[in-house]
Amino acid sequence: MRPLFRAIKWGIGGYLLGAVAAWVMAGASGPLNGPIEVTVGFIAGLIGWIFGIGGWNNWGREWFGLPPKDDGKDDWRRYFRFNTDHKVVGVQYLVAFIAVMGIGGIMAMLMRLELARAGTDFMSEETYNKVMSMHGILMVAVAVAGILGSFGNYLIPLMIGAQDMAFPRLNALSFWLIPPVAVALLSAPLLGSFEAGWTAYPPLSVLAPGDGQLLFNMGVIAFGLSSILGGLNILTTVTTMRAPGMTWGRLPIFVWAGFSASLISVLFTQYFAATLVMIQLDRIAGTAFFDAKAGGGTLLYEHLFWFYSHPAVYIMVLPAFGVSLEIITHFSRKPLFAYKAVVGAFLTIVGLSGIVWAHHMFTSGMANYFHAPFMALTEAISIPTGVVFLAAIGTMWKGRIWFTAPMIMATGWVFNFMIGGITGIFHADVATDLQLHDTYFVVAHFHFTIIGGSIMGLLGGTFYWFPKITGRMYNERLGKIFALWVTIGLNVVFLPMFWVGVNGMNRRVAVYPADLQRVNEFISAAAFLLGAGFLLFIGNLLWSAVKGPKASDNPWNASTLEWSVSSPPPHHNFPLLPEVVGHPYEYGRPGARHAVLSTTGATHG
Amino acid sequence: MRREWLVVGAIWAALTALGEFVVTTWTMLPEGYSRESHVVNEAYVLLLVMAVPVFAFMVTMLGYSIVAFRHPGATEDGPNLGNNKRVVWIWLAVTAALDLAVLINPGFVGLRDIRGTQSADMAIEVVGQRWSWTVTYENGATSTTEMVVPVDTRIRFDVTSTDVLHSFWVPGFGLKVDAVPGRTTQMYVTTERTGDNADDSRLRVQCAELCGLSHADMAMTVRVVERAEYDAWVEDLKNNPPAAAQQAAGATATTAAGEQNDQQAGAAAGQEG
Repeated sequence: MRPLFRAIKWGIGGYLLGAVAAWVMAGASGPLNGPIEVTVGFIAGLIGWIFGIGGWNNWGREWFGLPPKDDGKDDWRRYFRFNTDHKVVGVQYLVAFIAVMGIGGIMAMLMRLELARAGTDFMSEETYNKVMSMHGILMVAVAVAGILGSFGNYLIPLMIGAQDMAFPRLNALSFWLIPPVAVALLSAPLLGSFEAGWTAYPPLSVLAPGDGQLLFNMGVIAFGLSSILGGLNILTTVTTMRAPGMTWGRLPIFVWAGFSASLISVLFTQYFAATLVMIQLDRIAGTAFFDAKAGGGTLLYEHLFWFYSHPAVYIMVLPAFGVSLEIITHFSRKPLFAYKAVVGAFLTIVGLSGIVWAHHMFTSGMANYFHAPFMALTEAISIPTGVVFLAAIGTMWKGRIWFTAPMIMATGWVFNFMIGGITGIFHADVATDLQLHDTYFVVAHFHFTIIGGSIMGLLGGTFYWFPKITGRMYNERLGKIFALWVTIGLNVVFLPMFWVGVNGMNRRVAVYPADLQRVNEFISAAAFLLGAGFLLFIGNLLWSAVKGPKASDNPWNASTLEWSVSSPPPHHNFPLLPEVVGHPYEYGRPGARHAVLSTTGATHG
Repeated sequence: MRREWLVVGAIWAALTALGEFVVTTWTMLPEGYSRESHVVNEAYVLLLVMAVPVFAFMVTMLGYSIVAFRHPGATEDGPNLGNNKRVVWIWLAVTAALDLAVLINPGFVGLRDIRGTQSADMAIEVVGQRWSWTVTYENGATSTTEMVVPVDTRIRFDVTSTDVLHSFWVPGFGLKVDAVPGRTTQMYVTTERTGDNADDSRLRVQCAELCGLSHADMAMTVRVVERAEYDAWVEDLKNNPPAAAQQAAGATATTAAGEQNDQQAGAAAGQEG
């Protein structure tokens, strides 16, 4: 635990040093928690934290010719260290983001408590805006990094027959950038919080009184850095670390999904960071990027913001496509249907994701000639997405469907994400979007896509790979109940939101017309039940990780490489390089094999 | 094999028929007050009608597979059917055709119906500021508490903002447009039916873009009235401005008051920045 305490010390020290230095240079007059002091303090604190947690031991010592220090013992404490084992990093991501999801979920419960009544009975509008903004950014973070950080790191090397990621230290760094982000976002209330939503549209995000917006900006930029580094690592790993015989056409579909999502991370994340830098400068340095009176413009922000944030929704859902198709394939015991078409669909989605952003701006007042092309491009995404659905039902058809908790999650994903997809067309269509934009219809739509599309992949994958990661089996009955609870609960909570949306309830409000109260009461009650269901999930996992029955190496009798090693896998995954000799899903063909784990094969260099 | 497809086809047909019956007979969307809201509602129903067979097909396949192909445990493999090029190409052709159909109607058709003609019988200026709306009519009368518009009239709303982004939305009109600082955005509405906020909460101007503290309260009531009633009302508003409106009207009417208004805004911004 010593590196962690050192990191905390250096982080706080760095923050104070940076803040005081900025304060002195700014004339030593204002408060010590002024905007510039906070900004410089965060940067210095982040550097201090990274140095403390492992930056010095892993890079610094080498640069100065000092002997390297190893990671320490392989006991439970490795999860609290800068550890370069991709499996440790994966678990760190998984646990951290389930915790963040819990905090974001509590925010959601508080919001529903307020929305059960039409007036402001539980919290003020100001508090509501802040809780809503916090819920938004936390959950976006979970959706962006939840699957890619955890299963991406844990499983991609195992699935492609590698001993680790291409850049193990960079991998650890990308995780250890996350805690300062969480601290920045969660401590923002100390500085008056942020209230401009996760979208942080200016001029509101520039003019809003709370300096918590500064911490939001800095935190999200750091998170973006983590996302880029993680994406870069996955791209390099998949490109260079594949075992002999693991051709691109033999990659498990989850690897392709992670690869595609990583392409988007690397190509687009920096645009969001750039816009947040502009907001930061508008707030602290007197620039006027978004001040109309001084010649700035807010449409600039919307374009740049969505240029990242629309592709980002595919960073959220593509890995879940991979997880769900993986589960559906193994639990149908049939080859993944139309594998090549699915890979093509993923890459088409990557391409299209970059040229559809302005469909978020049909009401923004942008030029009229933008509308038709962005509507056409957006609706075209339904074609590659349709291929993913074809793969799901085509694989299940005539399979031997083993209806376990992960399989319930995966089929629930098909159903719920389909509702998200179909209602997406109502927003791609300009005529209906002009009415539905910024209403609860949107709220319902994106919860179906993000919970239904991304979070259900995270939950399903957690069940599916739980025996591999922990070496123990979760409680199947509780798992099944939870999977059904989420699949059905999502519909009970969010279907009525479509109705309140078309009946004139706009989003991001604490008060609304009284005639919509009855339905909102129902939604709130259902939301509490859905939220309570997650206790079943957490309880099941915690109990099973410690007390669950020991799992065999391959409890699902699945064909991909991660199931060919022990549960949990040994430190370096494969003592000898596996040799890949066939497709990953050769079910129903006697004698066909995906890989051979020989004892005489080539060793890793 | 053939029997399986017959069962699937029958379930699909039944679900589709049921779905189409529901979406065409159950009026999910409340009736609007403008021609544009009818365009929106028609597009909405058309999209539902087109979505029903797709949704029904997926539900049928999913449900049938789960029921018919259940097999506890991983003891047996299914057939080694990894691909069927013909099925993939048919699927692509059908989804592409559906996409094209949606794009043409309601897509381009709806876009033309809503944005097509840029002419209007009357122009109304709308200014959003945290956290209220100011509406200025053609005769110069101003109101901040209620917006009244005549029925059977094509109205152009010229919308702008003095501070942050807002969005000018009347749910009952079926449209919204953002109020952007430094820009004037336009929204065309053709009123078709009279109505009063007292009877329908969707007749309100509602800010639809998060604008800070009182965003949810940034609303004013809307009435759609007969032309004669509107003329009398707007004339009366000009001659006898209500106390609240008087201040705002005075502020925009004279330079001195305008400067004062700017100072107030500046002070507010300074306090917050």
